Amino acid sequence: MNLKLHIWRQKNSKTKGAFEQYAVSDISEDMSFLEMLDVLNEDLIVGGKDPVAFDHDCREGICGSCSMTINGNPHGPEKATTACQLHMRKFNDGQEIYIEPFKNTAFPIIRDLVVDRSAFDRIIQSGGYISIKTGSAPDANDIAVPKAKSDVAMDAAACSGCGACVAACPNGAAMLFTSAKLKHLNVLPQGQAEKKKRTLAMVEQMDKEGFGSCTNHYECEAACPKSISVEFISEMNFEYAKARATAYRD
Amino acid sequence: MLGFLKSNILSKFVVAITGLILVGFIIGHTLGNLLIFAGPEALNTYAVGLKDLGPGLWVVRIVLIVAFILHIITTINLVRQNKKIATGYKVSNYKASTFSARFMGYAGLTVLFFVLYHLAHFTLGFVDASTFGMETTLENGRVVHDVYSMVVIGFRNVIVSLFYILAVSFLGLHLKHGIHSMFQTLGIHGKKFTPMIQKVSAIVAIIIVISLISIPISIMLGIVGGQV
Ligand code: HEM
Ligand code: SF4
Ligand code: FES
Repeated sequence: MNLKLHIWRQKNSKTKGAFEQYAVSDISEDMSFLEMLDVLNEDLIVGGKDPVAFDHDCREGICGSCSMTINGNPHGPEKATTACQLHMRKFNDGQEIYIEPFKNTAFPIIRDLVVDRSAFDRIIQSGGYISIKTGSAPDANDIAVPKAKSDVAMDAAACSGCGACVAACPNGAAMLFTSAKLKHLNVLPQGQAEKKKRTLAMVEQMDKEGFGSCTNHYECEAACPKSISVEFISEMNFEYAKARATAYRD
Repeated sequence: MLGFLKSNILSKFVVAITGLILVGFIIGHTLGNLLIFAGPEALNTYAVGLKDLGPGLWVVRIVLIVAFILHIITTINLVRQNKKIATGYKVSNYKASTFSARFMGYAGLTVLFFVLYHLAHFTLGFVDASTFGMETTLENGRVVHDVYSMVVIGFRNVIVSLFYILAVSFLGLHLKHGIHSMFQTLGIHGKKFTPMIQKVSAIVAIIIVISLISIPISIMLGIVGGQV
């Protein structure tokens, strides 16, 4: 297939970016979206031009590195699919495709399609852990975890921190990510001791990073390659308000 | 007192709780207004009944005014912040967001201007002092403000009625997204509950819009208020 691409090119976070137009031809339907960009980059390099910078690592839909907005959708049009797992057969021959970086002021653009997502790391650092004595490994079934709770924890833990939720949100909110990370630990017995402290710290770090506020569009859930549910956001709201309301006791 | 504005989630709680108070008011106000179809005696008795509440009426009014102001300050603050953070894409392509969700701010602002005009018109009497001074005698002999005639004459003005219909429709859009949003914000979510409340939200919004719009339409068609 042949495609007409409009790709956002930007040297670094200081300069202004702009769209540039590229034509790619003879793209196989079996290629992934990133492989299609690889083909373009090979052409650019052969022609002595700068290749398009984009993030990627596993190319198996696991790591969450690949981050780009394809025709207005972070990770592209497919449900529960990362950009690296998106096949070119989902597009039509001759189609025009706009490729932009994830856009949110809390994710500064580093170059072309690469953005700095360390705001997420700082949210994790603020409370996304449990404090335990390390040392020899504990017995496997030392702490009983009810099946229903371990299922919820696994669902929440599926979040790869890719940032598509933030990129898709018309308000630039990071509530889906933060609520998944909170739920993952808050639902387990191991997470109980620090639950309140964690809820306060991670939500406040999220605000400090300058993310927006949720108005329940649910674009995040629709864009999430791991189909994280917005019910975690609802719970986080309640848990945070409860933690603030009972803070006077501590 | 406005410290909650620093927290996104606490701000959202304030929007939801003030929204809940305003929704309660809208439902009550709509039911009251529908008394116009029961004739002048019913509407005027109801209106004077509200006035007779005296201090009680003022308690309700103050709660509503405070809720309204907090709702507006908080939402304007959130919308302004969010606009700066999410800078948007060349092509926008929504998967889940609805028109009513994206229209919340504009619908809200229209409702704000409408409420100010509406109060000036029917509560304060700035718009048409002649109808505001009208009086009538109830069956029990009491002389009261003739709310019925004031409303009928007010809505015979096509411009007034059209503005009212537009504002009420926007209010309906605001409620369609707002009512279910309120539950999600306050932490009430469920796999069955959420789709159900989204439907209920749309149905309540439609019922309120149809009920309120039926008043100016009936007046313009002469079905209501022919004797005034
Ligand atoms: C009778 C009048 C009003 C009622 C019944 C009402 C009701 C509501 C409700 C129930 C919500 C949802 C709360 C939540 O998301 O948790 C809401 C949100 C909102 N309201 Fe209002 N509102 C009214 C007037 C206004 C006015 C005058 C403005 C603006 C000047 C406004 C602007 C907004 C905005 C921007 C939101 C947030 C959008 C969102 O959550 O998606 N509203 N309102
Ligand atoms: S919640 Fe989904 S979209 Fe957001 S960071 Fe996690 S995996 Fe990505
Ligand atoms: S490169 Fe790892 S998920 Fe796409």
